[in-house]
Amino acid sequence: MKLLPLRLPTWFLLLLPAIIILLSVVLIPLVLSLYSSFTPYKLTRPETLYKWIGEYNYVKIAGDANFWWAFGRTVFLLTIALNLEMLLGLGIALLVNKVTWGQRWLRTIMMFPMMFSPILVGFQFKFIFNDNVGLVNNALQSLGITDQALPWLVDGKLAMFSIIFAEVWMSTSVFAILILAGLFAIPRDPLEAAKVDGCTPWQSFRHITLPFLMPFIYIALAIRSLDVARAYDIVKIMTNGGPARRTELLWTMIGRTGYVDAKMGLANAMGYASIILAVFFTVYFFRKLSASRSSLGFDN
Amino acid sequence: MKRTVLLATMAMCLPFGSAVAGDFDNVTLDAKLIGGQQYEALYARIAEWEADTGAKVNVISKKNHFELDKEFKSDIAAGSLGWCVGSNHSSFASQYPSLYTDMTPFLTEEFIGEYVDSNIAASMIGDKLVMLPRAQFDVSAMYYQKDLYENEDNQQRFKEKYGYDLMPPDTWEQVSDQAMFFADPPNFYGTQFAGKDEAIVGRFYELVISEGGQLFNEDWSPAFNSEAGVRALDWFVKMYESGAVPKGTTSYLWDELGAGFASGTVALNLDWPGWAGYFNDPESSKVAGNVGVVVQPQGSAGIRTGWSGHHGFSVTESCENKEAAASLVAFLTNEESQMLESSAGPLPTRKAVWTHVVEQAGTDAYRSEVLTAFQSAAEHAFPAPKTPYWIEATNVIYPELQAAILGDKTSAEALETASEAVDEIMLENGVY
Amino acid sequence: MDINQQHRLKSYCLKAGHLILLFIAMSIICLPGLWIVLNSFRPTVEIMAKPPVWIPNSLSLDHYRAMFGAVGEGGVPVGRYFMNSLIISLTSTVISMLVAISGGYAFARYRFRGKSVIFVTFMLTRAVPGVALSLPLFIVFARVGIIDTHFGLILAYVAMNVPFSIWLIDGFFRQVPKELGEAAEIDGCTRWQAFWKVEFPVAKAGIASAAIFAFLTSWNEYALASQLTRSVYSKTMPVGLLDFTSEFTINWGGMCALAVLMIIPALVLTFIVQKHLISGLTFGGIKG
Repeated sequence: MKLLPLRLPTWFLLLLPAIIILLSVVLIPLVLSLYSSFTPYKLTRPETLYKWIGEYNYVKIAGDANFWWAFGRTVFLLTIALNLEMLLGLGIALLVNKVTWGQRWLRTIMMFPMMFSPILVGFQFKFIFNDNVGLVNNALQSLGITDQALPWLVDGKLAMFSIIFAEVWMSTSVFAILILAGLFAIPRDPLEAAKVDGCTPWQSFRHITLPFLMPFIYIALAIRSLDVARAYDIVKIMTNGGPARRTELLWTMIGRTGYVDAKMGLANAMGYASIILAVFFTVYFFRKLSASRSSLGFDN
Repeated sequence: MKRTVLLATMAMCLPFGSAVAGDFDNVTLDAKLIGGQQYEALYARIAEWEADTGAKVNVISKKNHFELDKEFKSDIAAGSLGWCVGSNHSSFASQYPSLYTDMTPFLTEEFIGEYVDSNIAASMIGDKLVMLPRAQFDVSAMYYQKDLYENEDNQQRFKEKYGYDLMPPDTWEQVSDQAMFFADPPNFYGTQFAGKDEAIVGRFYELVISEGGQLFNEDWSPAFNSEAGVRALDWFVKMYESGAVPKGTTSYLWDELGAGFASGTVALNLDWPGWAGYFNDPESSKVAGNVGVVVQPQGSAGIRTGWSGHHGFSVTESCENKEAAASLVAFLTNEESQMLESSAGPLPTRKAVWTHVVEQAGTDAYRSEVLTAFQSAAEHAFPAPKTPYWIEATNVIYPELQAAILGDKTSAEALETASEAVDEIMLENGVY
Repeated sequence: MDINQQHRLKSYCLKAGHLILLFIAMSIICLPGLWIVLNSFRPTVEIMAKPPVWIPNSLSLDHYRAMFGAVGEGGVPVGRYFMNSLIISLTSTVISMLVAISGGYAFARYRFRGKSVIFVTFMLTRAVPGVALSLPLFIVFARVGIIDTHFGLILAYVAMNVPFSIWLIDGFFRQVPKELGEAAEIDGCTRWQAFWKVEFPVAKAGIASAAIFAFLTSWNEYALASQLTRSVYSKTMPVGLLDFTSEFTINWGGMCALAVLMIIPALVLTFIVQKHLISGLTFGGIKG
């Protein structure tokens, strides 16, 4: 009865729901925003969406020192935060893995920060790092460590530190949980053999445990690099890029340009720069992931 | 009683003349209102208006001010303007010149005359009355800790050092003297200021005016890169460098300032009327019972600061039933509504209600002091510059102000850069 | 001191060091969170006190009472927000699991051209920052008319969660030997039955771990929700947090009370499924 001999392959049918949803929710809006980045689109004047100005916005961004500072700062923040999260996550996972009692509780506690909405984390650390009545300065002063009110959210270095601290606090759990999963999967035999051969704990960690954990670490890095922009909520609440642009990141810049200044065309052009950044990090970690998998002989 | 007056005034301009109950039967108005504790009490009255007119109000959005602003802009962008009534603010209103309609055709001159004239003036864009003010008027006066000024030791030492009597400040120079005199960081600070976003630009703006300068010229080109501008910015720099303000002040917004003064660690605090009750409530404040308020100080030009703003309600241009919407807005800002709102502390924007709240305060010494101070503060009030690019301009100005305050740049350099950036905004938008 | 004793001493020291380190790590993880819980029971004057009040003078349920109280007296429609959050998070998690199981199965079991390109493209859709996506998405949704509806937000969250879930689930299906399904088919099962009876149960743990990630992401998401929701009919709890802020003030104690209500369900859920979560992730990491 079929008039058309066309029959879609099964794999395509199976992927179809995902494709449709991603097309409609991500790709169509992205095309729209790509187009608008070539216009002087201003939210409060919708007619500006139909005025083509070519690469004007991009040229403007390219010549804007503030933008490049924000770009560099974002890369800096990502590099520091992701590495710190990885190291701390590894440390916590190793600690928890050694515990023989109450692991169920420890693992739940370990994931505690994952229950916090990023926006809540922002408010939380804004108050904790407040220089006058904040928790940290109060503690330092009560303990007699300092008699100064450290300007956590103002001093350039301290502010970056505070933001990174908040971000690391929120996201280390993801690393810890994935690395812990990796530790559970390590086969016992090579470790026992190493012990018999007289390897120090460090040697067996370095040459057996760590290579085995690498895929897990790269998965965590890839996951995190996919949604690092969640840090936007935190930074927006804590410093909103200030003071004097000392903590300005791409995302805060985009948010302000797009919504407060209503210059959506320009903001979308910046948005593409940040997308390229995220794409770079993601692709990089995916490659690392498959490399570390194939070195372990896991790929298929 | 007042409502009947309102309805009568409405009747004069309604096409069919009668404003009896059931006038707007089957009309449904979609509204976007500002949410938040101090704003909600008024909305309970909406039911009364519904009963009177037979119309129905559907609150389709309730958010805080900044979120609402974002939403309005998104609505304009997406063309989703099917709603009728929106909360508005005088400092934000000029950003959406095409969104809201002129309300004068729906109101009598007499009715409009019942509002405080300067509030009505601040509610206009050009000759369009785009909003009616509710009893949420904001201008800042100077709060201070009384016992610091009553302390004889302080009085004596201050006189020795500065050569004049220690009194609550009447000029910004005195504020700076006294702030430095009282400061004992990190335990105690002389004063503090909002240090980011529109807030610091607003504070800078009023100080520029009080120094005899202007933020913008007639054609909206930047005018703050002037001697008055440098003097104004230098005041902030001096406060910061001398340690008279908390080191974190450039990260503060209103809530941190309020919490700071309430914690009893700040001597002088230029702040909004909404805090008056909070500061004197032992539940929330350690300085309760020790709070004094005086009118805001003047600058070297003999002009008092007075950056002000007020909340109100507007009717959209695209609203299908503007009469009904205007009637709701008039109702929410009429005398009874303002009585209700101002009874909780906020300042009214109607002449009769002002008289009423001052009478009401009567024997309550603190409340009278607050109202007297803010009543004279209101006399010196002036609104934010009415350009659609005000908020956008503040976003390029404030990082430069911060840079000067933190010592990254000199005041002159910072204002130079900011001025260039504002100039670029105006040029790009074809203002001149 | 004989060698044995020395050895024992060393192992004691190691053990103590381990416990101390563990304790410090857990404290740093817990303290900021517990501080929020504590603040929800304290009057604001004590939270922002200087000199600080370390030992609470009074604990009360005032913030909770106010939150559940009438609108205008500190009340926030918590019940509505909670239901919205629950409906949206659960529905979007279930849908994204269905979509991801089907997609993950396709990636794991079929060979086709451009597979890795499609795969990476899927992943990259997740890399678009919410702040850059929110406005174009809003405009599209406004045109379709699904602003301020549960449906709109569910759709957005499904799209957000599908790529990552596909990736995890794909890994789990790969570690189920192909032969298992094939054997079942030879035994007379249809492909569907083979999937359902043989392959799905093995990958269950993996699906659970993908589901918890998806749930937590939707439960806590703010950037998109703040743009796509407007009224109490669809506002979720993270957006509701902002109800405690107004032009000049933040009711931090009240915000903490709502935050606690947000954290508890997520915590309980995590505690229940964390065993599956770990074992699920274990398989997912190796293959995939």
